[in-house]
Amino acid sequence: MELKDLIGSIELPKITLMLPELIVLITGFLLFTIDLVSKKANHKLYIGISLVGYFIAVLYIALNPYLLGSTFYGLYVRDYFSSFLQFFMILLTIFVLAFTYRYYRQKLSLYREFYYILSFALVSAMFLASSYNLITLYVALEGVSISFYILTALLRGDFNAKEGAFKYLILGGLSVALASYGAAFMYIYAGSLDLQKILTYSGQNKDLLILGLVFFLIGFAIKIGAVPFHFWLPDAYQGAPTPITAYMASVGKLAFFAPVVRIMPLIQEHFSYAWVITVGIISATTMLYGNLVALVQKDVKRLLAYSSIAHSGYILAGISVAKAIGLKAVLYFLIAYALMGAGSFLLLALLERHPQWQNKMEEFSGLRFSMPWIAVSFMIFMFSLLGVPPSVGFVGKALVFTALSFDRLWWLAFIMILATGISTGYYVRLVVLTFMKDSSRSIKVESSLAEKVVLFVLTLSLVILGAVPIIIWNFASQSADILFKR
Amino acid sequence: MEKLGAQFPLISVSMIIPILGSLFVLLLPERFTKGVSFLSTGISFFVAVCSLMFFDFSKGERVQFYEQYPIIPELGINLSLGLDGLSMLMYLLTALVSFVAVLWSVRDRQIDHRIKEYFLCFLLTETFLIGVFSSWDLIVFYVFYELTLVPMLFVIGIWGYKLRLYSAYKFFIYIFISSLFLLLGIVSLAVQHYKLFGRFSFSYFDLMNNDYSLWLGVFLFMLFFVAFAVKTPIVPFHTWLPDAHGEAPTAGSVVLAAILLKMGTYALFRFNIGLFPKVVVFLMPLLVLWGIFSIVMASWFTISQNNLKRFVAYSSVSHMGFVVTGMFLLNLEGFRASIVEMFAHGLTSASLFMIAGFIYNRLHSFNMDALKGSAKFMPAFAIITVITAYSSMGLPGGSSFWGKFLTVLSAREYTTQLALLVIAGAFFSAVYVLYFMKVLFLDAKEESRLVHFTDIRGFKLSAFLLLLIPMFMVGLLPSLFFNIFDMSARKLLLSVMHKLIGG
Repeated sequence: MELKDLIGSIELPKITLMLPELIVLITGFLLFTIDLVSKKANHKLYIGISLVGYFIAVLYIALNPYLLGSTFYGLYVRDYFSSFLQFFMILLTIFVLAFTYRYYRQKLSLYREFYYILSFALVSAMFLASSYNLITLYVALEGVSISFYILTALLRGDFNAKEGAFKYLILGGLSVALASYGAAFMYIYAGSLDLQKILTYSGQNKDLLILGLVFFLIGFAIKIGAVPFHFWLPDAYQGAPTPITAYMASVGKLAFFAPVVRIMPLIQEHFSYAWVITVGIISATTMLYGNLVALVQKDVKRLLAYSSIAHSGYILAGISVAKAIGLKAVLYFLIAYALMGAGSFLLLALLERHPQWQNKMEEFSGLRFSMPWIAVSFMIFMFSLLGVPPSVGFVGKALVFTALSFDRLWWLAFIMILATGISTGYYVRLVVLTFMKDSSRSIKVESSLAEKVVLFVLTLSLVILGAVPIIIWNFASQSADILFKR
Repeated sequence: MEKLGAQFPLISVSMIIPILGSLFVLLLPERFTKGVSFLSTGISFFVAVCSLMFFDFSKGERVQFYEQYPIIPELGINLSLGLDGLSMLMYLLTALVSFVAVLWSVRDRQIDHRIKEYFLCFLLTETFLIGVFSSWDLIVFYVFYELTLVPMLFVIGIWGYKLRLYSAYKFFIYIFISSLFLLLGIVSLAVQHYKLFGRFSFSYFDLMNNDYSLWLGVFLFMLFFVAFAVKTPIVPFHTWLPDAHGEAPTAGSVVLAAILLKMGTYALFRFNIGLFPKVVVFLMPLLVLWGIFSIVMASWFTISQNNLKRFVAYSSVSHMGFVVTGMFLLNLEGFRASIVEMFAHGLTSASLFMIAGFIYNRLHSFNMDALKGSAKFMPAFAIITVITAYSSMGLPGGSSFWGKFLTVLSAREYTTQLALLVIAGAFFSAVYVLYFMKVLFLDAKEESRLVHFTDIRGFKLSAFLLLLIPMFMVGLLPSLFFNIFDMSARKLLLSVMHKLIGG
């Protein structure tokens, strides 16, 4: 090849495509630098800088929804799907940020590294949503994971935090190892690192592809907390500071599900059966186990962690239908769960600021009288998680049922009915405790304006987006159609 | 099915009135609560009665006052509201009973705390119920069907009697889980429509055109049937009902028994018969026998009750058995019997629960032994009780007479043995009413406790009158009510017969 051709083939990176990631990354480095040079921590400054950066990034995405294309020789892809997910990731990070300041001041552990690690986690999560390439995915996966290990252990003196972070670290390491092992198999099969090329390649040794895909999937299954790879999740969610738990349950879920969802359109006829069986069985065990164990929990934070596992199961049920309708259902449900998970954990973070609060279930009794609006908001979160219409949880479940019925996966649909039925037990118990039991103690927590606004927005969004689902549906539908057309 | 558009969005207006009322309840101080709820339910009752004037009875099989707003066009989900003859009757019942429930609660001594929330629950329930009976999109139907659970959970759990929390749980869990099957059934129908016609639709009118192989039809039918059998309830699925109805506050039981149960039977009519005519014909013997079994078993359960509210609750189950039996007999008499019984039971059960509530206010007990001979001291109460009880028993002139009589008649069209079975059921349901009457009037009791009781007066008396007048109307002028729903019953029957002959 001549030098001229070589130079000609060099592609200039299209910066405009990945500007949101760059903005978040720059914000992170800015925070990092300020942290290095300044002696005394000025948390309001850090929060201000983060907010400015995130708002610019989210506005950029919102104003350029049709920014499409790929750069860095296909290592990075921006399409409708990634913009859609990234929008919610940044938005939810902003929401979480609103709750951190008071929480950490109360818990006396306001470490400065928190802010830039949050940015790095966010930027890695955004990269996870926008790549088909195994290398990029691997790096981004490591980025999110390492940030999450640190964030989980942020309450350094707390035993639970250390335990959770350690478990997360070990199983998380295993997950990355398995995913890269699977990636290696896929590379051997197709001679390419691009998932699109791998899955559409018609090579000799199909078993190699299926083996690789299964390992790759199991790697991600550990990250999303699918049973039987879930053991880290309840401990990590319980040990982590609650705003971080909210962050992991919303942004983390979106990020780890994104690559799995992205390969759904690439599932070919000849191994779709293996896909349905693998994902379907993991989904069935996940939703049954998550709900059954949640039923006996006394600690609400742990209960919500198990409910998060169960919701991973519902989402996986949608993923097992590798068709356009399945992808749309999954996208809707992902956003729905991100909102519900973020909201319910953030509400818990608010209550945890009360000095006597210990996250016990009984402590919710009488909440109706001491904090009526918080109680109403909590009720809406619980009903939405349960799937009472008209909430996003209901629409999500209805869409997943539609997808399952489309593929005639009746057995999975019945297991989902059973699992949802089990979950009625604990969600309704919490509502009943909050509204129908009186208590001698009254828990009252002062909340800042930002916290009130965030909780209000999240609560309202559950109802509005559930009653008028077309707002999310249009985006989900278009991204799915674009993914299927590629 | 043809639709007649609305010149005036009657249904959305009648759904918005209670919501507006509940907003006012929320925002105004507590002393206005009762007035506001009284007014808003009163106005919506008035609107419902007025709507009769604009309803074209000769075209009762068509959907009138039809409105439609898109929700997700791509999936064929629309907010489509309208009334045909059958839903018109249910709509009237909803407006009437909600008004009566609020009227009763205004003077109910048991409702002494969290008054705002209490009336809020009732107003919201009314909106949701109107939504259930008027929606022609299955997803929208499901949304309203589920939403009625939430306020009722609160009504039972907060203002109920001793076992209220347990009963509230049980109520919610039973109905919620069973209706998940309904959700699966609904989306499966839409998917089936997609596979046949290439587009999703949740509209009732579109789904009627679906065609199934017999076994797929049976499967889908069962998904619907499980949900509605629990809601109705039919005997092995009835165990939530005595708890929920027995522990709810009076007005809560009134709404539960008079309208919420009708959601089940209404839906059986609308969806199980309307959407699966072939399957219904196939399963008919089983369903009819099941209905008769339900009547007899529930009557036996009723006789063995000692708690007045549970007694009335079980009697509801036996009445619902008549509705189910009549419905699945699949002839015009059966349909008429079933629908008129739905309406009649709405009136009598509401009245019976109010009688129970009245007695509780006086005696602080639901024990049947405690109220022996109490009728002597409260003449107005005694008269109301007698009228209601005999109406419920099915004495000619009473409102339930037509339901039972026509069921027997329609069973006779098949075989005499079947008719005899239904008569046996009717016999058992008469036994428990007579037993109740005996306790109330014939048993003697130390009288000193009862002498100072005050009789029914004022608000409560007017609440009873609002139920007794239509009760007499059903009993004496049944054609008035048959007129409302006859055309839609005929239309439904025609579609079943069409399948029977065609398939």
